[in-house]
Amino acid sequence: MKVYLTRYWQLYAMLALPLALFLLFKYVPLIGNVLAFRRYRPGKSTFGTEWVGLYYFQRFFKDPAFWNAFRNTLVLSVLNLVINFPIPIIFAILLNEVRSIKFKKTVQTISYMPRFVSTVVVIAIIGELLSPSSGVINKFLVNTFGIEPIYFMNDPKYFRLIYILLDTWQFTGWTAIIYIAAITSIPQELYEAATIDGAGHLQQICYVTIPSIMPTIMVMLILNVGRLLSLGFEKVLLMYTPANSSVSDILDTLVYRTGLANQNYSYATAIGLFSGVVGVILVSSSNFLSRKLTGESVY
Amino acid sequence: MREYNTKSNIAFKTVVYAIMVLVLLVCLIPFLYIISLSLSDPIAVVNGEVFVVPVGFSVEAYKQIFTYPNFFNAYLNTIIYTVFGTAISLFVMTLFAYPLSKPHLRGQSIIMKLVVFSMFFSGGLIPNYLLVSRLGLINTRFAILLPFCINTFNLILLINFFKSIPNDIEEAAIIDGLGYGGILTKIILPLSGAGLATVGLYTAVFFWNDWFNSLIYLKSSQFPVMLYLRNIVNGTTQLNNGGGSSAEAASLSMSIKAAVIIVSTLPIILVYPFVQRYFVKGVMVGSVKG
Repeated sequence: MKVYLTRYWQLYAMLALPLALFLLFKYVPLIGNVLAFRRYRPGKSTFGTEWVGLYYFQRFFKDPAFWNAFRNTLVLSVLNLVINFPIPIIFAILLNEVRSIKFKKTVQTISYMPRFVSTVVVIAIIGELLSPSSGVINKFLVNTFGIEPIYFMNDPKYFRLIYILLDTWQFTGWTAIIYIAAITSIPQELYEAATIDGAGHLQQICYVTIPSIMPTIMVMLILNVGRLLSLGFEKVLLMYTPANSSVSDILDTLVYRTGLANQNYSYATAIGLFSGVVGVILVSSSNFLSRKLTGESVY
Repeated sequence: MREYNTKSNIAFKTVVYAIMVLVLLVCLIPFLYIISLSLSDPIAVVNGEVFVVPVGFSVEAYKQIFTYPNFFNAYLNTIIYTVFGTAISLFVMTLFAYPLSKPHLRGQSIIMKLVVFSMFFSGGLIPNYLLVSRLGLINTRFAILLPFCINTFNLILLINFFKSIPNDIEEAAIIDGLGYGGILTKIILPLSGAGLATVGLYTAVFFWNDWFNSLIYLKSSQFPVMLYLRNIVNGTTQLNNGGGSSAEAASLSMSIKAAVIIVSTLPIILVYPFVQRYFVKGVMVGSVKG
């Protein structure tokens, strides 16, 4: 033991500060979730003062605002998954068909630029483009079809569409990187053999490319299903207006509003904990299913 | 691979290239639009006459934003959070990642389990807020700099990077009597430029783009530029132009908004072409399950 410590004490010394910060900022809040089962009193312990069992859970299960937010979260994330999961795969496959290296690199580089721009900027830009008074899109619609300007950002009808299209714009190029890497590692002989067998481009994609990157697709699908309840909270919050609240209030914004704006700390923690637990269940069950069905799993 | 210029091949290629050009346009046009709004005659902007080419060149909006003390202040705040946040974060994560890259170290595997678990399940918004508040960090800049100094994803990236450095170099150094502190500073760090650059860039982008944490933890004089922009967009902050008729002020405010968007995003757009290969490297290393 003494020899071990004389050899390794410097490594343990390095660990001390970061481990303390890690436990403080990751695990204290994690344990802080007990607040969901305890009553909070201002000025007293941040872990609450007395046990109340499932009181807050029973309360939010009876709260229509919770069910509305729960439904909005599910609808928005399922739609988002259905639409935005395949798009990066298609983009990666098509990009792979581009023969000019220079053009390919240019498209790729520019396609992941939106990922690094702040969500605030993304919302500001879309707000300008869709502005009913001066935005080009409304100008175009009004001039072409002679209709009244549409208040896109306020109208609940367009909220989900805008959210999903913004996600497409922000993340397609970035997410595609993983698929592009998977495609690059496919042995060229497979394509040569397919060509000799007379396979055209589309057949090569269907019978070589897609089966070869299936493991990657499955792993990404598991990860995405696991994140189903954690939508882009910041984006939703930035797009939220009282007019579109019937569809834009999701679990995260509900936690934010009841917790930080109305200071119902325990109540909001209970909702947050519920969505966290559902997330863990989702990721482990989709992982389990995938291992059974395809042999691929994340862990 | 041999290519046959059959009819269907040509059709296929045309479709592929058309889609790629479309992708390029869709990615670029929003930025071009805002740039041209910020450089156009404010009247043309309000009338919706501007698309991707400026109408009636004017730099009035840029001149205006440089006269706003609040904008300057917010910009300075963002620079402070980005520089210090990234420095603290790299320092802490390096010290954390290096010992964790040694699987034989006792206790390493249990800490790794804690790290990975925190990726799947974490304290929610409220427990985090109450912790920061209990630590007395509300309305101090440390509320932004400290809680986010360890990002689990970046930490794992860094651990994998350190693991990829050959062990023989270290063993030689130990025989020469160098301790682990010396190995880290004299051998590992000089070899880790790419890894540190990748993680540093992710971290810097996080701090540069953050607005939500500043909203809940800071007071308005400490707000970063992204929160300043968000407050302009949702109307919390009114842009007041010194003098001029209200119509003139209203018309200029749109160009000013566009100029604020450009100036606050400019560092990322300028740096981006030079550093994007690091970003890509990062996502690749991170996708390897360790």
